[in-house]
Amino acid sequence: MLKKNRLMILFSLLLVFSFALAACGTTTDEPAADEPAADVPAAEEPAADAPAAEEPAVESPAERKVATFIWTQEFDTLNPYYSNMWFSIITQELWNQQPWIFDDANGPVPVLLKEMPSVSDDGMVITMNLRDELVWSDGEPLTADDFVFTYNMVMDPANTVASTYPFDQLTSMEATDERTVVMTFAEPFVPWVATMWSSILPEHILAPVFEAEGTIDEAPWNLEPTVSAGPFVFAEWESGSFVRFVRNDNYWGEPPKIDEIFFQFVPDDAAQVAALQTGDGDLGTFISYADVPTLEAAGVDLVTIKSGYNEGWFPLLWDNASPGILDVNVRKAMVMAFDRDSLNEDLLLGLTNTAASFWDNTPYVDPSIEPYPYDPEAAKALLEEAGWVDTDGDGIREKDGQPLVIRHGTSIREVRQDAQAVAQQQLAEVGIQLDIQSFDADILFAGFGDEGPCTTGEMDICEWSDTTAYPDPDIYYWLCSEIPTAEYPDGANWQNICNEELDGLFQAQAVETDPDKRTEMFHQISLIMHENVYWVGLWQDPDIWALNGRIQNAKISGVDPFFNIVDWELTD
Amino acid sequence: MSTIEANVAGFAVDPTEAPPLSLGQMTWRRFLRHKMAVAGAIMIILLFLYSFGGSFLYTEDFANATDTANRLQPPSAEHLFGTDQIGRDILARTIYGGQISLIIGSAAVLLQTLVGVIIGAIAGYYGGLIDSLLMRFTEAMFNIPQLFLLIVMAKTFAGKIANVQLFGRTFSGSVVIIIVIIGLTSWMYLARIVRAEFLSLKENEFVLAAKATGTSNLQIIFRHILPNSAAPIIVSATLGIANAILSESYISFLGLGVEPPTATWGNMLDRAAGNFNLISTAPWYWITPGMFIVLTVLSINFVGDGLRDALDPRSRSV
Amino acid sequence: MGRYIIRRLLQAIPLMLIISIILFALMQNMGDPVATLGGRKATRPSDRIRLTRQLGLDKPIYTQYVYWLIGNDWADIDLDGDGIAESKGHRQGVLRGDFGTSLVNRGKPATEVIWDRIPNTMLLMVASEAIIIFFAMLVGVYSALRQYTIMDNVITTLSFVGYSMPIFFIALLSMYLFSVKFKEWGLPSLPTVGMFDPQVGKTPKQVALHMILPVMSIAVISLAAYSRFIRSTMLEVMGQDYIRTARAKGLKGRYVVLVHALKNASLPIVTIVGLDLPLLLGGAIVTERIFAWPGMGRLFLDHVSRLDVPVVMGILMLIALAVIVFQIITDVTYAWLDPRIRYE
Repeated sequence: MLKKNRLMILFSLLLVFSFALAACGTTTDEPAADEPAADVPAAEEPAADAPAAEEPAVESPAERKVATFIWTQEFDTLNPYYSNMWFSIITQELWNQQPWIFDDANGPVPVLLKEMPSVSDDGMVITMNLRDELVWSDGEPLTADDFVFTYNMVMDPANTVASTYPFDQLTSMEATDERTVVMTFAEPFVPWVATMWSSILPEHILAPVFEAEGTIDEAPWNLEPTVSAGPFVFAEWESGSFVRFVRNDNYWGEPPKIDEIFFQFVPDDAAQVAALQTGDGDLGTFISYADVPTLEAAGVDLVTIKSGYNEGWFPLLWDNASPGILDVNVRKAMVMAFDRDSLNEDLLLGLTNTAASFWDNTPYVDPSIEPYPYDPEAAKALLEEAGWVDTDGDGIREKDGQPLVIRHGTSIREVRQDAQAVAQQQLAEVGIQLDIQSFDADILFAGFGDEGPCTTGEMDICEWSDTTAYPDPDIYYWLCSEIPTAEYPDGANWQNICNEELDGLFQAQAVETDPDKRTEMFHQISLIMHENVYWVGLWQDPDIWALNGRIQNAKISGVDPFFNIVDWELTD
Repeated sequence: MSTIEANVAGFAVDPTEAPPLSLGQMTWRRFLRHKMAVAGAIMIILLFLYSFGGSFLYTEDFANATDTANRLQPPSAEHLFGTDQIGRDILARTIYGGQISLIIGSAAVLLQTLVGVIIGAIAGYYGGLIDSLLMRFTEAMFNIPQLFLLIVMAKTFAGKIANVQLFGRTFSGSVVIIIVIIGLTSWMYLARIVRAEFLSLKENEFVLAAKATGTSNLQIIFRHILPNSAAPIIVSATLGIANAILSESYISFLGLGVEPPTATWGNMLDRAAGNFNLISTAPWYWITPGMFIVLTVLSINFVGDGLRDALDPRSRSV
Repeated sequence: MGRYIIRRLLQAIPLMLIISIILFALMQNMGDPVATLGGRKATRPSDRIRLTRQLGLDKPIYTQYVYWLIGNDWADIDLDGDGIAESKGHRQGVLRGDFGTSLVNRGKPATEVIWDRIPNTMLLMVASEAIIIFFAMLVGVYSALRQYTIMDNVITTLSFVGYSMPIFFIALLSMYLFSVKFKEWGLPSLPTVGMFDPQVGKTPKQVALHMILPVMSIAVISLAAYSRFIRSTMLEVMGQDYIRTARAKGLKGRYVVLVHALKNASLPIVTIVGLDLPLLLGGAIVTERIFAWPGMGRLFLDHVSRLDVPVVMGILMLIALAVIVFQIITDVTYAWLDPRIRYE
């Protein structure tokens, strides 16, 4: 009988334990829901620094306008200089303004500045004039010193920022007075409008951390930026679950109409669609083409935003590649044997078009370049002419005893794997065997030093989607100097393409300050790449945003999606 | 899994309980009494026939033939199970996918049994330092849940093996990888059983007698002890196939599974069920591979259950 | 007993070392953590070089392992890339409780990243486990008492079907049916993802509502294993002499079952629960992913895809440790419940 008692004790202990756990999980935030006043999170967090934040506490929770955004990836960090993640970086203009942003016509609009910066005649000095009324959400003024501090932090070797580009192009950055910042370059830096500046770091918060620790890598601000200069301010981040931004009552500009932006992290695409369908989410992005009809049927608005991305094949012309890929006629035949228009029509539901050049969707596109037409007969003829003939009757062409086998690699994104399978089938019809493989992104994009499949000739073609320094047309990875070698394993020219004329044009455009001349150069570049088939466009790859009817007045820009967030309105 | 563990652990063939019938006959009789197990066995035979016999009806080229104009067609006379998102015939793909799934299941279990038996046998037979080293290693692997290990290993080996040409067919290199990683993450349990069996059997008279007559260690291990511990190995291996097929589908769902063009039931189901719109608009697409997975795993589980009952000497239900 | 526990704990030390070496070696080949840094574009070459150096990824594996284990505050490292190691490292090493800082949530200690998720996973898992045990008891006892009846066969078959399904299949289907379709049909529907509705806030009711689907999915696939186990132990116990004695004494059948048989059959259940509990810490990777439940399983997936070695190692080491600790607890509990068992 003793045993029975012990069993009882054990079970009750387990029960108590599980209840205690359940309580831990919920009670911490429980009062927030029961008492309307506590529902304004800003009042809890930085109560000491932001007395003004307590004001709107009188609002009842029902009237609070909360917009829920469904994000498929959780932010890694909110410090824009520490993140490469699109999902994190595009939230910047919600809560921490940049010197200038791009509107839905992709034109730059000054935000923290009085007007767009002035550039000296030689293109080496850029001067920015700050607005007078700028303040941080804790009431401290935002000055030119914050700009210089931001630059210093990015360039300091003790800080492991994601990218020092384009600040590493500068020779100096100075605050000549409280409202003026002067940037000096070693040579004219043309892509500055598109690439310069994410948002500004608050010196008065981060400088003490830097002095104490020698780095801002572990600054609490990176993950909980409670002081910022945007229309909203960070309130809370529950790991794996959500991040809340609430209205910044100290915002120096026009106040937003929404009270709170709630980012819910939903890692599964299918679950994201379900949440948008049921109205659990108001906005989602990175919607796959296949889900568009479902969402449309549920009454969700879908907005296609061009951000310069184009899906394409990158031929990798290494010495140890299949001999076929090194032959321009084979490359041309491959393109002509692949019915890209039908692929886009069927697989991508006609929501996009075949990309003609790498600069499709950017202002620098050459409209005279047409994609190669689908013409399998011409492809066959081209292959015959180039000496690729099926001599042994196995359906695959050969030349000099080498079968025409092309190894094709891409990431594990489903639409890519589908496109791969379709290409494989269609190329087989003209006698080209496509060996297909797909990799996780961190393997596909591993560099030469890590023996990444796309950098070593292991693959003959890699497929991914990329853009320029959008909206600027600059791209660095066709430069001869970027070809990876044992001495320079991190080189970005994985294609191993070194065309003198092309290289010259790429170098010249980077310092060409006349926009018309630069456009002309890009037309030449596009033509050379088209004729040599250095890049094959599959489809233009715009971002698809889903908005349900609750959100009004939303305009989305390809560069800074939330550029007019203060105008957004919620209805019921 | 706990069930398997708890029930198999009690296995020990008691040589004193000499049965009037031979062990095989008795097992067979007991097995036949388990109706569900018999049904499961028949089902498995049918599934093998379907997957491997089906290749005589359709070529693999047909299974991989895309036709985007005819994507997501419902079942028809032309495509009995309908078509998938790029217009491939689902019937033909379940045939070829079934081959891969069954091959993965069987090969992974083969590997798992091989590793498990070798490690368990060596540890149990030799004992001492070798035993404690091997068992620490086994325990180390055992202490990490299988799915976590699978993910880590799938990422470690992903893309390391190029596509394989075999019997005039191209297999994605990932098939080999998946087999290896499933095999290498599931042998630990078997190793423990085998070790326990060896520990108890090696002190038996027939082993001592064999030693005395100068039989080599290898012969004792494989000729004398191993056959006597066959029962738990067979049961564990049978259930292991079900586990391997499920593991393959999980790994596929997490995007680390067998890559196209090679179809498996797992990656077909993932591709269909992972796209929300397909669940309602193309039910034929996910029901088919889903049904095959459930049927296979279910049948194997029943057979395993039946084998366990049949091979268990304590079972008095005969 | 005390000596037994101490011995087991001492044995755990080399075991943990072996585990850490195996995992660390596996993790070095998973890809390049700075290849994209989670972005849409590949990292620029100059940044790749700088980050690889700053994060110490250019060091040989054994050096990285040593730094991971005992820290690098005794060594000089090169931060600015001039080839001269000039700065002292910051890391203290696992042995001093520092699992390093996350590569994803930059600057956040890995232990903190993991700790944030533990309550959520435990909440989901303890609830699932409770429901599984409850229903497994019901089903197991019922089918043991009614062995080989039609109902027993039906229940057995159904639980086997559940056991044979991939969990993502059940999870997606139930989400589709109970959330999407029910809403479409105007029926009361269940929420799809997350822990609560942001419009309402994190109330216990909301959390409970959001737990229904994930708990159900986990329960369906695990029920069979438990109920089959209970069924077979019950059958075994009911064949024992003391049960027959109790029946012979004229005790009612139901009483015999509830008090004697179930009590004795509970002992083995403690074992399987004890062995399963630490695995719960890892959470249900797939379920958490589908229902966007902010637990450890999802944390693992997110961070493994970015090759965040400090966090991934932390999670796996934590689980391994939990397995060891729970094995000891299970043994001790077992001895406590059954005084016949003695550990030397």
